[in-house]
Amino acid sequence: MAHVESISHSGICVHDLKAAEDFYCDVLGAVVHSRVNFKTQDALRGRSVHTSLMLGDYLFAIMLSEDWMNVPPLEQLRGENRVRHAFCIPKAKFPALLDSLKRHDVAFEGPVTHPDRGPFGESVYFRDPTGNFLEVLWRRDEAVPYNEVQALGHGGGG
Amino acid sequence: MNKPEVPARLTLRTISHLVIEVSNLDRARSFYVDRLGFAPTGDWPVEGELCLRCLSGQWLVLKPSPMPRTFAYTGVHQAYGASPVAIAGIVNALSAAAIPVHRYHEDRSAERDDNCYFADPDGNRIQLVRRETTVGPGVCTIDHAAVLASDMEWAEDFYRDRLGLPVEHRVGVNTDDYVRARLWGEGKDDMAPGTRRWDERYRDIPGGKPGQGRRVPRPNMQMYLRTGSSIFGVYLATAHVQEPPPHLAMGSPRTGFAVDRAELDRAAGLLLDANVSFEGPVEHGAKSPVAASLYLRDPCGNFIELCVPRNV
Repeated sequence: MAHVESISHSGICVHDLKAAEDFYCDVLGAVVHSRVNFKTQDALRGRSVHTSLMLGDYLFAIMLSEDWMNVPPLEQLRGENRVRHAFCIPKAKFPALLDSLKRHDVAFEGPVTHPDRGPFGESVYFRDPTGNFLEVLWRRDEAVPYNEVQALGHGGGG
Repeated sequence: MNKPEVPARLTLRTISHLVIEVSNLDRARSFYVDRLGFAPTGDWPVEGELCLRCLSGQWLVLKPSPMPRTFAYTGVHQAYGASPVAIAGIVNALSAAAIPVHRYHEDRSAERDDNCYFADPDGNRIQLVRRETTVGPGVCTIDHAAVLASDMEWAEDFYRDRLGLPVEHRVGVNTDDYVRARLWGEGKDDMAPGTRRWDERYRDIPGGKPGQGRRVPRPNMQMYLRTGSSIFGVYLATAHVQEPPPHLAMGSPRTGFAVDRAELDRAAGLLLDANVSFEGPVEHGAKSPVAASLYLRDPCGNFIELCVPRNV
């Protein structure tokens, strides 16, 4: 049996790539790692348009959707639309995250406190500009290292 | 000693002039003066080149060349603002002379209402854009100039982050652009050339090679940057082209941007820091409408000039 170890990276579809870049970089502190199909050589190969972001040590690709996606009402801040991405932040930086959400006028639900005996401390729930569901939380066991994920190169396929 | 901190971006005032190549100076002069309403002006600093002026005071410079590098080779096009009456008059005269005029749909809202395309006798592409406030029988202003770039990230870094031009509009990074491109692919949306393209997704097939993939209609990536009253457009090149030799800083076709004197001097230092090679500042004669120029190329090989108009 194969034993996979961890999530290496994930991709998420967006309706506006630049708005998504600005959101993940300005609000959540992501860094643009690379962009695909901004070059002639990519266009000649018919590649999809996407940007690879680094959120901490996590490779997160935002992919431009070529079709309109069904998006739940934006008033709904907590939930999932097939998937919700949850990111960790050190407990000490959690207040700064809340400040960033407020400063950028991002509506959020929370902080929601989780049961004492679970691994999660508090979560805050919100949406990206496309309406993808997001969560950021701090872990009660943050001193325990999880599997470290190595950043990949340019973001792969497309 | 620490290097003094200087603002990283330049302040460009607007597009001051365009330099295009023509094979026959008299024929081109007649076309631009008689058909588009440009006025000849003298004393352009480069001998042999002819400087024309439109009502806004912006210049079009005709550079003679035995084998002019025009739209088919460079993808560069020039667009002028004109009143609806002026456009009608120009189009009628062109049609009477059997010069084809094309009308297309556009991505940029300012160009959607009324625009037309045609070519000068050498094949330089010209676009007219309706400006309600303009007057006169000819073109009034440079509405925009557009170039091709093989790397849109490099272009954005150069024009936005180095030259300080804000991005006003983008095409190709929104789902709406892709949905509209499919209409174009179905023949239902007659978009201007260069704004759409057929992509071949041969990577969908393991081991696929060019010619084996499905073809999909897509928007071609574009970026429109504001510079004063004009727009500078950058389109993603859909084919690789031979660039001029790397050491060549001054060439054509070329887009000139007006700056004040202090900014020209500051530009030299900033470009040096940014590892961008350039030529100048070159001081021009007292009769020249341009006092000084600095010549360079963008990262994709397009020729650029920063210049100080004499009246600044």
